[in-house]
Amino acid sequence: MNKIKFSLFFIVLCLLFSTPALAVKIEISAPGEQTIPLAITRLLPIEEPLQGLAEEFQQVLEADLDLSGLFAQVDPAAFLDDAAKLTLLSTMVDFAQWRMLGAEAVIKGGYRLQGEKLTIELRLYDVISRRLLTGRRYIGKMNDVRKIAHAFADQVLLGLTDELGPFSSRIAYISKRTGHKELYLMDVDGYKPQRLTDHRTIVLNPDFSPTRKEITFTSYKAGNPDLYRKEIYTGRESRLSLKQGLNIGGRYSPDGREVALTLSKDKNSELYLIGTDGTIHKRLTNHYGIDVDPSWSPEGTRIAFVSDRRGNPNVFIVDVHSLEVERLTFAGKYNATPAWSPKGKRIAFARLADRKFDIFSINADGSDERQLTFGAGSKEHPRWSPDGRFLVYSLDRDGEKSIWVMRADGTGARRISAAGAADSHPAWSGRW
Amino acid sequence: MQKFNITRLLVMLFVLTLFAAGCAKKPVADDAAVTEQPTEVAVIEQQPAAVVEQQVDEAAAARRAAKAAASAAKRAANNLVRVYFDFDQYTLTASAKDQLMSNAMLLKSAPAVKIQIEGHCDERGSDEYNLALGEKRALATKNYLVSLGISANRMSVISYGEEVPLDSANTEAAWAKNRRAEFKAQR
Amino acid sequence: MESPRKQRWRQLQSLFEPGLRRMLVISALLHLLLPTLYNASFLFKSDPVKPPVYRVNLVNKPVKNPQAGRPEAVRVTKPRPKPKPKVKPKPLPPKPKPVKPIPPKPKPKAEPVKPKPAPKVKSKPKPEPKPSVSKAQEDIRMAAMEKFRAKIDKEKAKKAIQDRFADLKAAVSAENQQLESPITDAPPGSVTGKGDKVGIEAIETIRTTIKSNWRYSQYLSSNRNPEAEFRLKYNSGGKLVDYTAIKLSGISAFDESLKRAILKSKDLGQTLPESVDINVIFNLKEMLDQR
Repeated sequence: MNKIKFSLFFIVLCLLFSTPALAVKIEISAPGEQTIPLAITRLLPIEEPLQGLAEEFQQVLEADLDLSGLFAQVDPAAFLDDAAKLTLLSTMVDFAQWRMLGAEAVIKGGYRLQGEKLTIELRLYDVISRRLLTGRRYIGKMNDVRKIAHAFADQVLLGLTDELGPFSSRIAYISKRTGHKELYLMDVDGYKPQRLTDHRTIVLNPDFSPTRKEITFTSYKAGNPDLYRKEIYTGRESRLSLKQGLNIGGRYSPDGREVALTLSKDKNSELYLIGTDGTIHKRLTNHYGIDVDPSWSPEGTRIAFVSDRRGNPNVFIVDVHSLEVERLTFAGKYNATPAWSPKGKRIAFARLADRKFDIFSINADGSDERQLTFGAGSKEHPRWSPDGRFLVYSLDRDGEKSIWVMRADGTGARRISAAGAADSHPAWSGRW
Repeated sequence: MQKFNITRLLVMLFVLTLFAAGCAKKPVADDAAVTEQPTEVAVIEQQPAAVVEQQVDEAAAARRAAKAAASAAKRAANNLVRVYFDFDQYTLTASAKDQLMSNAMLLKSAPAVKIQIEGHCDERGSDEYNLALGEKRALATKNYLVSLGISANRMSVISYGEEVPLDSANTEAAWAKNRRAEFKAQR
Repeated sequence: MESPRKQRWRQLQSLFEPGLRRMLVISALLHLLLPTLYNASFLFKSDPVKPPVYRVNLVNKPVKNPQAGRPEAVRVTKPRPKPKPKVKPKPLPPKPKPVKPIPPKPKPKAEPVKPKPAPKVKSKPKPEPKPSVSKAQEDIRMAAMEKFRAKIDKEKAKKAIQDRFADLKAAVSAENQQLESPITDAPPGSVTGKGDKVGIEAIETIRTTIKSNWRYSQYLSSNRNPEAEFRLKYNSGGKLVDYTAIKLSGISAFDESLKRAILKSKDLGQTLPESVDINVIFNLKEMLDQR
């Protein structure tokens, strides 16, 4: 009988146990704030202080990080004494101070000039977990300060987002400041504009090779719109495609082995693929309408382009292998200059509406179309930054043509090209 | 009997597996160690070659000679009138056809003259699309002249898209002026 | 002679098979196992929480310092000098509204139709022109900053700063010491600062605190729908005892931001009615439409 009692006891015990325990589960479906409070302290001299260096560095770094839209900068006026201390080890930083100020991350750094050699030490600390996120030592010359600031801005984004920033890449563009349209190159903040061509005719529509320091563009130098390529550092230049008629809109494939472009050798503009030696590999379109403006998908399997095959200019997508064409844009009467994001999902383009162009973006499957730019002036020629976070485009307002950068959702727009000059047709390089 | 034993064994195995899984450590948020020693990055300055400016002169003399030879032809071509197009169109309007008719007359009277037909667009629209459109305008013009009896090999075409406007103002009237096909004498 | 009970047992044994006892024991063990496993939260996971449920405690907002206002809590803190970080002007151009795509109009032009010179597509809501961000705003900010600095200088330059710093230092150390309530079971207070026994839901407090400490930017990752789950243990003093990641999103920017939020919420700043064991799921569902 004992055993039965024992079993009964067990069963009761089991029943008692199996009453569900109170499981508390809550969901938080949005952060309290969408920016990370970041304190950017001034560079401090490790040995002799240098006039202006810290200021220039600060200005470049702040502008880059502000463009990223990720941060709310902690007001430097509120900084406490830790900001004035050179602390290049996380154990030396007074994190409690930074926490008081509400900062979640803090940038500290110092510099040293030994003869020609400039060394800048930089640290990004996580205030909450009191540890180093990114530590970098840059060694360069005095005139590398901006370059170092851009490089570290890239690292800050890497430290906080796992993806490098695009700030040390370059932007190629067309400027008419000499009276002719020529090819130029500048930093992503518009600094250091540098002329690359001297054709004294018309130079159009640059694109960067993804693998080499090389740009392709169209020029009338030889009396016909031919496609050129130019090595940036050596200055070497050659004609890549010189067929009768148009040789325009050259775009390197993501692997850099082929170039998609528009040729009109058969009296009608069609898209072709050519090798980097200029030989035609493949004809991509075959339609009596106009086919221009190719833009590669990041995998290199599809190409977005503009065609008027259905009446008005619209964006279509052609499969490079099957040559099947599907239509991407339906709204609006004039859609042009598609640019496929290097992240693959979205395609930016310009749409004519109300007598001016604005920039839109749309998913590659045609869903979720959004207008990114508003207001006066025509915005055209969108191109993506190599990380897909930003777009560069040209603005034509009140007769002045300038180049602007904004975030991929249309926020944070700012002018980067200098005042006065007629600048247009930007193209963003890959990682430099 | 045998069957029961096997079943029991299976149940026990299952239970043991569960126990083993239950005892396994749950993932604990771990902080990855970040080395304090910074990575060294040397900024390598690759000196970009400065833009080389060269005086290109060889063509100048030849051009001067050509100019003299072409001046007569040019005079003939100068009388050729421009034709205008509607927005985003490359079909010839009725008035354009009339003008081309008189141009054809001129060309017939000067059979030695070769011409280049330039297609132009207004500044609105994508540049590349406009280049293609300009070419279509030039070709449409050429084809019509061929249909009027002008030899096709007297005429070549080029498109300048929106790059060479006659009037760079931002008005409807200026745009209408810029959507055109022009005729230039060739040697 | 065997007892009748044993005889009956034998009968039973012969009726079933010989391993009955062992079977019973195993069966009992298995039954025991069930509640154990359940409590180890392994089996029977409650179905995933779906749409967020918004619970708003309209009457009692959780307060930072519940003891304030209670007579015995006089010593608490002098008003903490809290240098409010001034946030940089954020360039905020009008939010682009998704444009409704007009249904496909395949208009094969058989005949050259004369189009209007300017296609009059009265388009989209026309928001105000984009702020020409940088220049003007930057100038204003710079000017403001300059003024601010000048003011500081004018006021007793060094002394004031040192005083302020001393204050802050005190505040820092005070925070580090984490003042204990003089009464161990002091009830939580209310917004008014007068000790109020009306219960504040512990869970709501935790939720609000963590949410307000969570900073994450939509630009941090292209993945728009990450989700992670943490298990938090708070003691009745409102202090975080332990936290474990149950499921991470795999996007380290997201996961790191959560760890920071949790670490920042180490101290709820008020007591709880009892210790709390809570699972918190973090995602960005509320932000999905915003991009």
